[in-house]
Amino acid sequence: MERVVVSMQDPDQGVKMRSQRLLVTVIPHTVAGSDVVEWLAHKYCVSDEEALHLGALLVQHGYLYPLRDPPSLVLRSDDTPYRFQTPYFWTSTLWPAAELDYAIYLMKKNIRKQGALVGHEKEHCDQLHRKLSHMWDLVVMQAREQLRAAKQRRKGDRLVIACQEQTYWLVNRPPPGVPSILEQGPERSFCAAEGVQMIKNTEFYKREMERCRKALTRARVKSSVCLEAYLKFTSQHGPHDPIVSGCLPSNPWVTDDDTYWTMNAPSVAVPTKLRVERWGFSFQELLEDPVGRAHFMDFLRTEFSAENLSFWEACEELRHGGQAQIHATADAVYRQFLAPGAARWVNIDSQTMERTLRGLQQPHRYVLDDAQLHVYMLMKKDSYPRFLKSAAYKDLLAEAVIPPDAKRRVFPFMRKPPHSSPSPALLPASTSGEPVAVASGPECGDGDT
Amino acid sequence: MAREECKALLDALNKATACYHHLVLTVGGSADSQNLREELQKTRQKAQELAVATRAQLTAALRDRGLGAEERAEFERLWVAFSGCLDLLEADMRRALALGTAFPLHAPRRPLVRTGVAGGAAGVAARALSARSLRHEAEGDFDVDDLRELEREILQVSEMIHDMEMKVNVPRWTVQARQTAGAELLSSAGASSVGAVSVQERTGPCDLSKALAATVFSAVLLAAVALAVCVAKLS
Repeated sequence: MERVVVSMQDPDQGVKMRSQRLLVTVIPHTVAGSDVVEWLAHKYCVSDEEALHLGALLVQHGYLYPLRDPPSLVLRSDDTPYRFQTPYFWTSTLWPAAELDYAIYLMKKNIRKQGALVGHEKEHCDQLHRKLSHMWDLVVMQAREQLRAAKQRRKGDRLVIACQEQTYWLVNRPPPGVPSILEQGPERSFCAAEGVQMIKNTEFYKREMERCRKALTRARVKSSVCLEAYLKFTSQHGPHDPIVSGCLPSNPWVTDDDTYWTMNAPSVAVPTKLRVERWGFSFQELLEDPVGRAHFMDFLRTEFSAENLSFWEACEELRHGGQAQIHATADAVYRQFLAPGAARWVNIDSQTMERTLRGLQQPHRYVLDDAQLHVYMLMKKDSYPRFLKSAAYKDLLAEAVIPPDAKRRVFPFMRKPPHSSPSPALLPASTSGEPVAVASGPECGDGDT
Repeated sequence: MAREECKALLDALNKATACYHHLVLTVGGSADSQNLREELQKTRQKAQELAVATRAQLTAALRDRGLGAEERAEFERLWVAFSGCLDLLEADMRRALALGTAFPLHAPRRPLVRTGVAGGAAGVAARALSARSLRHEAEGDFDVDDLRELEREILQVSEMIHDMEMKVNVPRWTVQARQTAGAELLSSAGASSVGAVSVQERTGPCDLSKALAATVFSAVLLAAVALAVCVAKLS
């Protein structure tokens, strides 16, 4: 907006200026509303309506103020005279209007009108008196002095400056009922921000250099690689997503049948086939699923490397446990897994072991991170692929259950649907009307009413 | 007495700050010119000198342990007013810097905003410096150097404020201002009469229009009185 206002000032291409006559004083630099609209429409090649709206925004934000009826900040596209606001009073977020300044302004008004402040201004004045009571001396002194300083000017200038200040406070402290223009709209910064740089040039440039150097050493990934990974993820997980590919017994939110939830509960005796397939996607998926983790642990026991997973679980406990138990947990972990000759000694390379042992002198939450990562990578590279190829996994896949589709009711409107949402206090009851739950496995049987 | 001196210095600083505020209002507008920038510089330098002097006095007074409670309260009041004044001055100086950078006088890519304020502000600056009038003696390109000076001075003032906060511990909430809510109106009558006198002291171009209006009005009044006398005589 400031640029628009400044371009309006151009002596050749700017807005036509007139003069205002007040009894005997003549004050220059007035513009008529219609001139403003016309100039805006011409300069930015927009329709008249848009130019009117743009001009109205300028007036509302206080860059132009009407001379005849100051409290109403509207732009009328006729002869009503307006004037430009001085840059000191331009609305800016760098210098929001301060309470002290407002207090001084109200004080000046009070003095000029001999105590006849009305309505919201009087309330504000009282409020400020309470808030700034320790500075009230300063407020009064400054108000008096500013009035005296203003008297040194010509009458015309005095009028203009008074109008400017009044407009500024109308915009920044609007009377009740008028929407505050400052609460809306994007952040505007004073255009001169780039010029105001304090004399810290050398430090500023040093900081810039540091920043650029750090930016150079950032690890970068090609977007093609990222996108490939993303595509792979979505294509792999697509069939597993209940919203994208539908969920098999039925969507519980739609049919009020929570077979789906009971079948996919965290600890279920027979996992669904989709779930077992998911364990093959990545090691993280396997570890996150409690059933998967249990089966993996069984597998590792057959291979005599179960201490790896136990160590990993113990490290997780240390990381996510309470602060008070850190010492105790770290001690237990050391005694069980890391001490030479421990019961379940974990195979970690010597450097990591040294570092961990040193860190254990002052244990904190993340002291076992290196060792945990080493063991994790070991399991991922070594045991996990073997697990996926093992007979145990293949058996699991074969045994896994595919939840069948909910059979459609032949006569849907014969009976009132019996599965209107049961009260949460009852056990999760699968629908009695559906003849299908039989194949869903034993754990649903006790849910049947 | 120390208290009277401090009060006098504070009043002078207050006057200088108010005048500076008044001058900064017009930067970037149609009244902006070399002279204005020069007046700004003189005013703020005066304000800074006053600030340094006041601060020295007040710090000395407040550091003195042997003060009575009432005197101490008085000095604390003055201290709070002084620091508020200095804050106002610093804020105005920062704005002056930003505005001055945004509206350079020479090489006007940005022509000045036509705000309708056309007169000079020599009177205001003269009031700040307690001088009769002001001579303008700046060369061209004054504003660019002035801006650099201004940056340095802003840093000095911020340092001074920071020092003040560190060295003297005056909690703001214990200070009770002496003026009550309506106090400004009581002496405003006196102030306005003083103002009127000072306005009439100044002769200047604006008074010509006032004199013209006065003569026209008195002529009309005389004519009316003469007509009334004639009518009275005739009837």
